[in-house]
Amino acid sequence: MKEWVIETSALSKRYKGRYAVSNLNLKIGKGEIYGFLGPNGAGKTTTIRMLLGLIKPSSGAIQLFGQPLHKHKLSILRKVGSLVEYPSYYGHLSATDNLEAIRRIIDAPKERIGEVLRIVGLSKEAKRPVKGFSLGMKQRLGIAGALLGNPELLILDEPTNGLDPAGILEIRELIKSMPREFGITVLISSHLLSEVELMANKVGIIRQGELVFQDTLESLQQQARGSISLRVSEAERAMVLLDGIGVDSSLAGELLQLDSTDDAVVSKAVKELVMAGHAVYRAEERRKSLEELFLRIVGEGQG
Amino acid sequence: MMLVKAFRADLLKAKGKGLWLLVCLAPVGLIAMQALNFGLRYDYLTSIFAGKLWIGLLDNLSMFVPIALVMGITIVCSLLANIEHHTSSWKQLLALPIPRSAVFGAKFAVAAVMLGLSCVLLTLGTVLLGLALRFGIEMPMADILALSFFPYLASWPFLALFLWLCMTFRNQAVPMTLGVVAAILTLFGISEWVPVSWPMLAFTGPKREWFIGAGLLVGAIILLIGMLHFSRKDVH
Repeated sequence: MKEWVIETSALSKRYKGRYAVSNLNLKIGKGEIYGFLGPNGAGKTTTIRMLLGLIKPSSGAIQLFGQPLHKHKLSILRKVGSLVEYPSYYGHLSATDNLEAIRRIIDAPKERIGEVLRIVGLSKEAKRPVKGFSLGMKQRLGIAGALLGNPELLILDEPTNGLDPAGILEIRELIKSMPREFGITVLISSHLLSEVELMANKVGIIRQGELVFQDTLESLQQQARGSISLRVSEAERAMVLLDGIGVDSSLAGELLQLDSTDDAVVSKAVKELVMAGHAVYRAEERRKSLEELFLRIVGEGQG
Repeated sequence: MMLVKAFRADLLKAKGKGLWLLVCLAPVGLIAMQALNFGLRYDYLTSIFAGKLWIGLLDNLSMFVPIALVMGITIVCSLLANIEHHTSSWKQLLALPIPRSAVFGAKFAVAAVMLGLSCVLLTLGTVLLGLALRFGIEMPMADILALSFFPYLASWPFLALFLWLCMTFRNQAVPMTLGVVAAILTLFGISEWVPVSWPMLAFTGPKREWFIGAGLLVGAIILLIGMLHFSRKDVH
């Protein structure tokens, strides 16, 4: 039996008759980086707040580390680090004091503050008031706060929201290192698949409060099969020719699309075309991007 | 104990927020007002209070202690709550392994300690002012302490209520308005059944202990209700 760090069953949250989250069955295993995806307003933050005990589910159950959350809230939260939406911080305090305010509550050793600041690369800014920090630095401070108690599970809600590309890269590297270096399980939510696909190994997609996909990233990638498109001098005649040698293709405007991305098939097709006197200007792989697939998944059911 | 941990964290967060300044300024302001009052009308006031100069000083001060207290309570509660509202730190704080009742209790304790300190300063200020006005070394210490602390204890219902309101509403306009109204109402001695009258009655009496007791009791009840609500509410 696999050991689930987070397991929800039929988790629902209703606001004024409308379901923000409905019938959610999340399963997140130890050591995974779980990408929790969905458009804005799909219920990601509501779910995360329920996982942290900030809001109460209308129905359904939450188990963290195999224990029901509502019964063992404090002992469970002791093993969880979190960053919910935009970072929380006390602007008038320095980075160190911000962490100290958390440390006094969770009873972590004092040296831990220096350690987590080092992990997120804020050691040099430790003494500055946080209100002067850039968003990326505040976000990293938030992650430092989440790491302070040596958590076994890190729950990060949109941790790269509003960051510039360099900041996104930094945070991504940081998150990727968590399971590897510290054995931490990570749940990270985002509305961008491109964000998550570079770090997650498991993906859950939520749409209008319902989980519509939950599997490994590879399985999602398989669903997003690619195709090869060729730009040739006479596309229609080329298609007929390829048909003759048993290569399936279709016309897409001026382009000829091969359904298979197999190397042997592609090289055979190109060779035949060239031999038959066609000019092949370009041969490129068009991966139906995960993003397109993601958009299709989240787009379904929206009229 | 969890409450102590949260209390220590709150003390750290209150650093540099002007709270301590307020705690010191309020009694200093009250004393300065009376220094001005007695300084300008020294001969007149010392003649009408002849033989009971200290009591005269306390009488003049007592008018303003309840209003200052309730104002102070409102501002302290609002500033304390705003530390968390300001950058939406509630979600971070309440996702920590600490019972919400401890979070709420710690804020109450910080507010109570701060206001208590104001009262200590008021005692010191009263004594110093009396001595400076050459009212003599034989001061009515019991009455001085009564003025400094009885109205404070009788205003606990407001301490609990405004802390709860300030922590519940992100928009501080509602608790602030109510606080100012309540503070002004302390001046009028409406009825001994209304809590706004208790801070004044706790000093002027008669039956001071009734109003102190009622204040502490109602304060404790509101504190419990507030705690219960705060522990159950959803945090957004």
